[in-house]
Amino acid sequence: MRVWLGWLALVFVLSVGFAQQRTLTVSGFGLNQNLIDKNITRPFEARCNCKIVWEVGNNADRLAKLAARKDNPNVDVALLGDYFAQLAANQGLLERLDTSKLSNLNELYEFAKNPLGGNLAVAFTIYAISIAYRTDKITIPITSWRDLWRPELKGRIALPNITTTQGPPVVWLVNRAFGGTDTDVNPGFERLSALKANVVTYYNQSAQLAGLFAQEEVWAAPVGRFAWGNLLATGKPLAWARPSEGQAGVSNVAVLVKGSRNQELAYQFIDFIISREVQTAQANDLVDSPVNRNVRVAADKAAQLTYGLQQIASLRIVDPDYIVKVRDAWIQRWNREVAR
Amino acid sequence: MLSQSPARLAAWILLSPALLFVAVFFLPPVIALLLESFHVGQTYGLQNYLTFFADDFNREVYWRTLWISLLVTLVSALVCYPAAYAVLKINPRWRGLIIGLIILPLMTSPVARTYTWLVVLGREGIVNKSLVETGLLQEPLRILFTEWAVFIGLLQLMMPLMLLSLVSAMENLPKDVVPAARSLGASEGQVFWRVILPLTREGLVVGGTLVFTGCVTAYVTPALLGGPRVTMLATLLYQKAGVTVDYAAAAVISAVMLLTTLLVNFLLRGRAVKTARAA
Repeated sequence: MRVWLGWLALVFVLSVGFAQQRTLTVSGFGLNQNLIDKNITRPFEARCNCKIVWEVGNNADRLAKLAARKDNPNVDVALLGDYFAQLAANQGLLERLDTSKLSNLNELYEFAKNPLGGNLAVAFTIYAISIAYRTDKITIPITSWRDLWRPELKGRIALPNITTTQGPPVVWLVNRAFGGTDTDVNPGFERLSALKANVVTYYNQSAQLAGLFAQEEVWAAPVGRFAWGNLLATGKPLAWARPSEGQAGVSNVAVLVKGSRNQELAYQFIDFIISREVQTAQANDLVDSPVNRNVRVAADKAAQLTYGLQQIASLRIVDPDYIVKVRDAWIQRWNREVAR
Repeated sequence: MLSQSPARLAAWILLSPALLFVAVFFLPPVIALLLESFHVGQTYGLQNYLTFFADDFNREVYWRTLWISLLVTLVSALVCYPAAYAVLKINPRWRGLIIGLIILPLMTSPVARTYTWLVVLGREGIVNKSLVETGLLQEPLRILFTEWAVFIGLLQLMMPLMLLSLVSAMENLPKDVVPAARSLGASEGQVFWRVILPLTREGLVVGGTLVFTGCVTAYVTPALLGGPRVTMLATLLYQKAGVTVDYAAAAVISAVMLLTTLLVNFLLRGRAVKTARAA
């Protein structure tokens, strides 16, 4: 009897102990995680007296995991690319946000407050997609998406694979550059199919692209601005092209997973990552470009980011809803006609 | 009969932990997966398979996986057979060291080994650098992100398995069979074809099955050295399950991988039995 009571007491003590150490599970990108831990994880843990568990991976992987655990979610907050969040919303994986719980929301640029409509998400960063290229090897600057077709770039460029976040926006921009429309993507796919000779490979992670630049495999590649810091770290002379047809703009958003058991913490976390202090720290480390209007960074940092309303306004924002509708068909077509 | 049954009972008792593990943790998911591949709406049928193989891209991926895997199996058998024979001929004092060196790569992560090939086979890698600098080539060869890069990576990854299987098969070769055959007037060639090869065939079957299965299911090597251009069954499976969330196609690919490796194992084993009987 005594033994039995002893066990009961132990179970009681343990459960109280666990209840006090609350855990918030956040699904994130994993890129620059050490800087994210410095700017977000540790300061937030100190503030909330809780523990953050990160689940990291690319958008597609993490969305598939969210879908697989729909009935028994283990993630509370997910940080996703905008059209992946739209995919998640369409599959009924997201909870609508109660924006009154986000005290910093009014400091954000207008586009960031409700990027998917219906208060399903809040954008915490935006980035441009353009072409990064070697200035020592490519002496005539790249000024158009059509420049990727230059014959001297034979076997020297990499394209983001269609399943990456940048893949569909690049197809969309290229299609536009060659006279296609949203309902007619034949010009884009035909030209991309004809680009094969110039393409070394189709990369799946931006970290892989940094390796390709470092090993002299690649001289030019379309890529998201979030990878710029890592590309510069290769030590190669690189420039960021400003094509006449424009750069694509994609935002990353924070969403609340339906069925999350830690909603209060989740709101605190989302509010925290859009706060001026976190957005400033992330911008200064070149992790994420800020969407909080009150963030001020020095000119040399700003030059490496997608910074300020003027720059953001010049981006061609890709409609997440459009990408979601065409993505499956594009993946099939890409497999058959482009990456083959 | 009476003396046999306790021995048989003991055998079952000894086998039971492994059997239990397989029955609980291995068979149910495999059966569920195979069933899923036949699952169409509310009923069962071959529709998922027909849809999958009607697509010429999928067929291309299947054939590519098959020929690369078979080629790796064949080449590793040809290279490892004489090497295994040589390992047994060398001084036993060195044999342990040699076996250790064969096993060493197996202790390194396949990811690390594959990354090394990225550096070695690259445009500025050691292979291309030496070919260009010695004047053998004008321009560096494009090896990385082609089928040949996947072939080279898999060959290096899988060869130790073949070599170890062959070494252990040859260790079981009775010492006096070769002198016996010679004393009965067999030529060198006859000794090899009619004595050594049939007696070590089991090693080739085991090694061949391990290598072939390893090649069909390898993910890291085709993903990193081949890329989307050299899609193999394993990388296509990942895309179906992890990216487009098409579980029907993913189940079909898994079933096809399983059936293909079983078939190849069956064929290898069949040949081995036949030739062993003929000998």
